[in-house]
Amino acid sequence: MKFIWNYIRKEEWSPYVAGILLGIVGIAAVWISDSLLGASGAFENIAGLIGKAVAPKAFDNMYFNFIMPPGITWGVILLVGVFFGGMIGAATSGTLKWGKKDAVNSDAQWKRIFGPQVWKRWVLAFIGAIILEYAAGIAGGCTSGLAISGGMLAAPAAFLFIMGMFASGIVTALVIYRKNY
Amino acid sequence: MTNYIVALFVGAFIGFSLNKAGLTKYNKIVNVFRFTDMAVLKFMMTALVVSMAGLYSLRGLGWITFPNIPSTYIVGNIIGGLIFGVGMALTGY
Repeated sequence: MKFIWNYIRKEEWSPYVAGILLGIVGIAAVWISDSLLGASGAFENIAGLIGKAVAPKAFDNMYFNFIMPPGITWGVILLVGVFFGGMIGAATSGTLKWGKKDAVNSDAQWKRIFGPQVWKRWVLAFIGAIILEYAAGIAGGCTSGLAISGGMLAAPAAFLFIMGMFASGIVTALVIYRKNY
Repeated sequence: MTNYIVALFVGAFIGFSLNKAGLTKYNKIVNVFRFTDMAVLKFMMTALVVSMAGLYSLRGLGWITFPNIPSTYIVGNIIGGLIFGVGMALTGY
């Protein structure tokens, strides 16, 4: 028992152990409620909900009516759970930085590449997130929604997506890091 | 309603495992593209193998039916993946 508790308190698990945990959770999601994991769809559900209220004409198209219907879906609740789960994870390892000084940007590697300013981190996260959501909309899912939960059903779409993701990820990292690659 | 409670718990476990694997950190995500830290791949592939084996054997036993499998449209999947990689390397999502 002591051993398990100590392992839970560790800041960084072996990725294999954490992967096994996620795999079991993936099975449980399908078994208990016949749903797949996913994160990016939830943002589109919420965006649809807001959009329909603010500008119903602009959001009255096929995408928001049929592909991503607005509303509080399974995915939205899942995302809330992910938020708290991540917080619990950080709290158990004692790295929760809620409200502390370097809470927004404490990544040494990020600071070395882009500079220490906090606003840069916000701006880049915002732009990057737009790119991510847009791409997830085209592909039909994100890392969790398509690559992992599609992959565990052995869907070809997932593996095509992973191929594309790594190809351009490597190129982007090359561009950002140049000599430091 | 029970479905929502299940979603909350499933989500919490996802967040927990992501956090413990270090995938909530920018450097972990970017370093997999620089081939200096392969934790992301190890994590993803372990999760894939475990759940793939579990789901297919459960289906073989006839205990579960698969939900809708994400549809394949080759151009969309690849182009989406290509754009996604840019955002991933920028933000560390």
